[in-house]
Amino acid sequence: MHATKQRTASADPATGVVFETRELSRHYGSGDTLVKALDKVSLTIAPGEFTAIVGPSGSGKSTLLQLMGGLEAPTAGEVYLRGQAISSMSGRELSDFRRDHIGFIFQAYNLIPVLTAAENCEYIMLLQGLPKAERQARVESMLTRVGLSGKADRRPAQLSGGQQQRVAVARAMVSQPDIILADEPTANLDSQTGSDLLDMMHELNRREGMTFVFSTHDPMIMERASRLIQLRDGRIESDEVRS
Amino acid sequence: MQMTWQLAARNLNRNRRRTLLTGLIISLSTAALILTDAFILGFTDTAVRSATRMFPGDAQIHQLDYLAERDEALVIEAPQARLSQLASDPEVVGYSPRVMAFGMISSAADNRATQVIGIDPAQERTVSRLADAMAEGDYLAGDGAETQLLMGRRLAELLDVELGDRIVISVHNQEWGGAEQALFRVSGLYDFNARMLDEETVFVLQAPLQTMLGVDDAVHEIALALRTPALASDPDLPLWQRLSDEQVKAQGWTTLMPQLAAMLDMTRASMAIIGIMLFLLAALGVTNGIFMSIYERTWEIGVLLAIGTRRLAVFRLILTETLLLALGAIAAGLVLGWLATLTLGAIGIDYGSMELGGVAMAEQIRPRASWAQYSLYPPVVLALTLLAAMYPAAHAARIVPSRALHKSL
Repeated sequence: MHATKQRTASADPATGVVFETRELSRHYGSGDTLVKALDKVSLTIAPGEFTAIVGPSGSGKSTLLQLMGGLEAPTAGEVYLRGQAISSMSGRELSDFRRDHIGFIFQAYNLIPVLTAAENCEYIMLLQGLPKAERQARVESMLTRVGLSGKADRRPAQLSGGQQQRVAVARAMVSQPDIILADEPTANLDSQTGSDLLDMMHELNRREGMTFVFSTHDPMIMERASRLIQLRDGRIESDEVRS
Repeated sequence: MQMTWQLAARNLNRNRRRTLLTGLIISLSTAALILTDAFILGFTDTAVRSATRMFPGDAQIHQLDYLAERDEALVIEAPQARLSQLASDPEVVGYSPRVMAFGMISSAADNRATQVIGIDPAQERTVSRLADAMAEGDYLAGDGAETQLLMGRRLAELLDVELGDRIVISVHNQEWGGAEQALFRVSGLYDFNARMLDEETVFVLQAPLQTMLGVDDAVHEIALALRTPALASDPDLPLWQRLSDEQVKAQGWTTLMPQLAAMLDMTRASMAIIGIMLFLLAALGVTNGIFMSIYERTWEIGVLLAIGTRRLAVFRLILTETLLLALGAIAAGLVLGWLATLTLGAIGIDYGSMELGGVAMAEQIRPRASWAQYSLYPPVVLALTLLAAMYPAAHAARIVPSRALHKSL
């Protein structure tokens, strides 16, 4: 059994909150066709959390991740990263925000097919303007940590689904973001591969303190999560922190 | 930046068929532009050569009012000094003094109003192609009988005459104001393939016509062949001033034949419009090809944007792809255009006896290459191709990552 407690929202970076949403809403349509994909969601994410956002289809999981990642603008409310509101950012600042602070892992791997595993990892660091030596050292280290040291020169089409998702994890982590947002990362993997991948991410979380937020239906993720946020109809139904 | 070039090159390589087809549009457009321009140059060369070198010459000298009034009394008096000046002018490679009269020629069967031109046969060879146009009989001999007469084969048919037949020429004598008649014999028939010369003109020696007209040794026209014929189209050529004075005026063919100059201007304008339309269509093809490549990897561009690529960088990526594609395609287009120009230039395009703007195309049109085609068009095509890519590139840069990625974030 997990011990549970409720978290409250806080905008104070001094509390160690890495991410915060306040009264976050995202509505589509208007009048009779108004859909409240997300409705006044407030939550905080602390460093090192391994959080799973769960809920039925249409509950707002993906929308919440999109808003947290600055991929969409909220209808109302605000997202803070270490106390800084992202709604006031320009398009260019948002791009830089995603580049420097967010790591994304997508359901369908979404690697750039014309780049090798190493180049996929290196790309984001090129955007950051890191020197070549540092880029190469980080890529080598990261691919080793995800168990792909011998496959750096392979393109995505030459890797299995599990290997591609490992590259995606490496790409998300290599830029040393504040948080990794993963949208159903195991949905396209068989259970053994998915389990291995989760073990790897869990290990990275425990060993390196990397903060993960998952949107998922996968019981394996829920099992490993240190915090479980249940969404329903765009609202938080429960927020459970496990010890 | 290096990654942008790498990505661009690899993206072009991922769907080779589409890249090839889009590149082919650019290559063929470049080649078509070059060939069109080469054709216009060749056409202009042929038309001007046909018009000037057939008979009129690159330029002519007349008494100041002659061209406006066509009055046979308006002659160039004592032309010998002027002819000597022409003989020593480095710009002039040929000159032919001509006596021009309008008269009636009569055969046993019929009579017709024609232009009678008195020439110096040797000098005429240096300007016109009369000697080359001879189809039957002999060209005029300067030291031969003064009754020699040349006419077009077509006119001979109309008058029902053959070589050796007698022809009576009647002209207006300027001294005593009456009709002067003289008997000539058809000594040669020519074919210029130009109606005016073939049906409405006859040639005789200069001296008998001067006598008939009563103009002593005066002439009405001095036709010139220039060392650089292209200069004749310049209305401000210093040569015109050098050869003109208070009695005579020298003018190039563009002034003497404004209808031909206008026709060539119109031809160039038409070709330019065709070229622009051709390239607009090609640009649409390029735009379409780039759009297809963007639609095919919308999610991928969504990923690039999601992980922090700036929109400007995506815009630059699409333009870089287009730039690489265009550079290769334009290089291929230049080779294609050069080969096509070379081939058609060697074979020639035969317009037969077609007459355009009163000018019979006396020879085949041979497309001509020029440096401008290979130095001016490539950057223009490149700029237009990049311009055509702006719209799809802007579209790619505006992709909303969350929508591009659909359900996956």
